[in-house]
Amino acid sequence: MKHQNKLSQEQQQSRQVGTEQQSQASGAREFASAEEMLRYDAAHTPVPPDIAERLQKSTGDLPRPKTAWWKRLFGGDHR
Amino acid sequence: MEESPAGLAPSEFSGLYEENNRAIYYLALRFLGDPQKAEDATHDVFLKAFRKLDQFRGEASLRTWLYRIAINHCQNLRQGWHDRHMFSNADDAVWDNAVAKTDSPLRVLETKELGQRIQKTLDALSDEYRLLLLLVADEELSYEQVGALVGQSPDAVRGKLHRARKAFAAHFEKTA
Repeated sequence: MKHQNKLSQEQQQSRQVGTEQQSQASGAREFASAEEMLRYDAAHTPVPPDIAERLQKSTGDLPRPKTAWWKRLFGGDHR
Repeated sequence: MEESPAGLAPSEFSGLYEENNRAIYYLALRFLGDPQKAEDATHDVFLKAFRKLDQFRGEASLRTWLYRIAINHCQNLRQGWHDRHMFSNADDAVWDNAVAKTDSPLRVLETKELGQRIQKTLDALSDEYRLLLLLVADEELSYEQVGALVGQSPDAVRGKLHRARKAFAAHFEKTA
């Protein structure tokens, strides 16, 4: 819903114009806004797999839990 | 992987990472402008989240909470490196009067050059405009959430976003 609201406020119109079009002839790509360009760039930017491996190692030495986050949120055992 | 201090099972933390790693890495990459630093920052952000999940109060979405950690982390890193500000809020008038064609499409000839041009463009913007554009580009965030992350009202976000778009468009054209 939030996403739809934001789009409807400012970007829906520009989307209707026909954005992120790729010209068959020139290979050029067009974006109606900076955000749309950034979205495209983010979608085509791979996340290095090393991060997940490093995280797995880094979290291996951490102490055991005190209180489960979901217990704090929901006040009970929901598992 | 151990259970997190907040009692998050490995599979749950893995899910949290899978759902949010792209957003956090991209923010770090474009905010810091360096792939290696972005990789380190993303690792550190999720490690902090892993350690502090018991402090998450559920008042914001997990995505927003992760963004807050990432923004603080990246801003601290940048402050440690340099305090250059090529454009500040004082330059708003310049961009208000600029001839940037914000209503015309931004054209890129090849996808592979896009990242480099975007980075150059973002580097030329103030930290505030850069962060604002990166956050608004995330379709999962509302203006209210973006405002909360940058300490502005939703209306202020909309106003600054307009100027940020102009500044982006003007600089982007120069990178061609």
